[in-house]
Amino acid sequence: MKRKSLWIGILALMMVVLSACSGGTGSPGASNSGNTSNNEQNDATESTEQVELRVMWWGDQKRADITNQALKLFEKKYPNVKIVGEFAPSTGYFDKLNTQLASGTAPDVFFLGGNVVDYAIKDVLLDLTPYVGQELNLTDMDQTMVQYGTLNDKLVHISAGANARGVIINKSMFDRAGIPVPQDGWNWEEYAAISKQITDKLGSGYYGTYNLAVDGMDIGLKQNGKQLYDMANGTLGFEEADALKWFQYWDATSKAGGVVPAELQVSNPPGDTSKSLIITGKVAMSLIPSNQFAAHQSLTQDELIMVQLPRGDKGTGVVFESSQGLSGYAKTKHPKEVAQLMSFFINDPEVAKILRSDRGVPVTASNRALLEGEASAADKIVYDYTSRVSKATETEPFAVSYNPPGNTEYSKLAESTMYEIGFGRKSVGEAVSAFYSGTVKIFNNNQE
Amino acid sequence: MRATRKTMQRQHNLTAYGFLLPWLIGFFCLTLGPMLGSLYLSLTKYNLLSAPKWVGLSNYVTIFTDDQTFTNSLWLTFKYVFMSVPLRLAFALLVAMALNKGIRALGIYRTIYYVPSLLGGSVAIAIVWRQIFDGSGLVNRFLGWFGIEGPSWISHPDYIVYTIISLSIWQFGSAMVIFLAGLKQIPGDLYEAAQVDGAGKARSFFRITLPMLTPVIFFNLVMSIINSFQAFTPAFVIGDGRGGPLDATMFYTLYLYMKGFSFFEMGYASALAWIMLLIVGGFTAIVFMTSKFWVFYGDSKDGR
Repeated sequence: MKRKSLWIGILALMMVVLSACSGGTGSPGASNSGNTSNNEQNDATESTEQVELRVMWWGDQKRADITNQALKLFEKKYPNVKIVGEFAPSTGYFDKLNTQLASGTAPDVFFLGGNVVDYAIKDVLLDLTPYVGQELNLTDMDQTMVQYGTLNDKLVHISAGANARGVIINKSMFDRAGIPVPQDGWNWEEYAAISKQITDKLGSGYYGTYNLAVDGMDIGLKQNGKQLYDMANGTLGFEEADALKWFQYWDATSKAGGVVPAELQVSNPPGDTSKSLIITGKVAMSLIPSNQFAAHQSLTQDELIMVQLPRGDKGTGVVFESSQGLSGYAKTKHPKEVAQLMSFFINDPEVAKILRSDRGVPVTASNRALLEGEASAADKIVYDYTSRVSKATETEPFAVSYNPPGNTEYSKLAESTMYEIGFGRKSVGEAVSAFYSGTVKIFNNNQE
Repeated sequence: MRATRKTMQRQHNLTAYGFLLPWLIGFFCLTLGPMLGSLYLSLTKYNLLSAPKWVGLSNYVTIFTDDQTFTNSLWLTFKYVFMSVPLRLAFALLVAMALNKGIRALGIYRTIYYVPSLLGGSVAIAIVWRQIFDGSGLVNRFLGWFGIEGPSWISHPDYIVYTIISLSIWQFGSAMVIFLAGLKQIPGDLYEAAQVDGAGKARSFFRITLPMLTPVIFFNLVMSIINSFQAFTPAFVIGDGRGGPLDATMFYTLYLYMKGFSFFEMGYASALAWIMLLIVGGFTAIVFMTSKFWVFYGDSKDGR
């Protein structure tokens, strides 16, 4: 009897499982019929051409809110387009995007940063060239930014904001230490000396500068007439000796004192505004993109200012760069609407007012003038800084540079190199030689 | 007699297959296809976005001859497994024995101690762990009362792995519940007899509790080893998500994930996945093979 009930139980279980399995094969049929009715509906409304666009970006809640606000505005202006916004924190964003691209389900429009080359060479970005002058209005956009988005003679990237990197300075710390605030035109020896002075004057726990060996490396190379990636020739733009010189400078400066130790830089990385030691008044100098200045100032009572980078042989090496921008998915079904959206995003004055300089200074002259008119105190410091940079680039021009292909892996390698030296795991020579051979390997591996 | 024994055997097997059915269906309908797909991909260079290119065994050759990160991540994962598994099981057994002392409201305690296992794999707990072991976190404040200046446990490459191991030990719940069930199965008269014969607490633990528990220990050991080799979330969240600082959180699974999804080397990542499968399979096989020397089935059919 007991055995019988057991058998009934097993049979029942099998039924459930089997029906679940057959339900799995059955349900697509069911949903198919649902789809066809949807399709019919779409056909019926073909005349107004109802279109849905997916847009994806990275960033915090504040950026998500204002971006959604701007996209709502677009929907209002183009009622036939419905926008579905998606966002992810910057850490997981590109993994998510890569997975979607691999499975052919990428959004119609997505944001890319310094890694745009990686996607351009894989032919997954929509060529916007046919839409320029039609749906896509670039007449007011800076030519350098249009050039930046043109890769292999195809326009694949529309910058959504420009910035210039510079040294952020916690002026209050300099005042407390009784050291004069540095001025544009200084050099790297002075930078090292001032860093040490800050630590000497303010005592332990206070540092002159973050270790900029990775964040500032491309600028450091440009100051000496080299670059990370020579796109025109498709090669790396520097030699091992160039990297060695740069890492040696930071090693020497660290050993002299005045640089944030590796352990502290790991837990409070300079790129994470909320944890930055600039905010807490522990570090006096760091390197930031100018669009991050307002976010820093909003988190601290200390007075912050921006100064140009210390000079190398060829100048400061700083130019206006695209902080990030929009690209379309090559397989999008609605390329025209994609172009419309991008055009709206960079040109519309109301969008500019909503987004302000969250992704950098607007890329069109009219929107820049618009925002400049109603700039906050922090914004004014940024505008003052960026105008000094424009003036400097008139006499000392530098080409806009790109990150090498395999950027994610490369930047991890560069960071590891800095920490290997910082934690004393390897000598500078060993670390840099491994860094250079690793860089060459990554570079070759990512050529298409 | 023989015949009935045979039918009983068959019924026994059928019952087992009945319970295995959901897993079998899942395996054949869902898992098998992607697995074979990844075996093919492991023999190609595949950047996710263009078609895979056949390269034969070159991925495997590179992994074994020219990939320092592979070696490092493998050692780190071994270190994690060999430290966290025994510690977690010992801790789980300890708590299970404490709960088995016939305390009141056992159900409540059992639930409370099980909660960490439910939460442990989650991102939220890993973030809490970050706060606790931060340079100015709870642990260091506690140490501060005794005048000890603790390092920043989560940002120094020498210590961060121990932070992750401690999180893994804290997830002792599921092993504990199984141990507790096993302890309840041990007949009380064995202990009474031992007491009459004058055996102490320690002696009855080593002579009765442990041997009687070996099937349960065996099960927990296998499950823990497999789970620990696959640990991902704690390393991803407590570290910087990229294996840092200095690859101190570069667990094997994280390395595989980054190669595949961040570095555009899905073929290479697939090869890494198959190597991991062989390693986990190898360890499980070793445990199974040694089991006949130390696992004691009191209720075994053939009276072993």
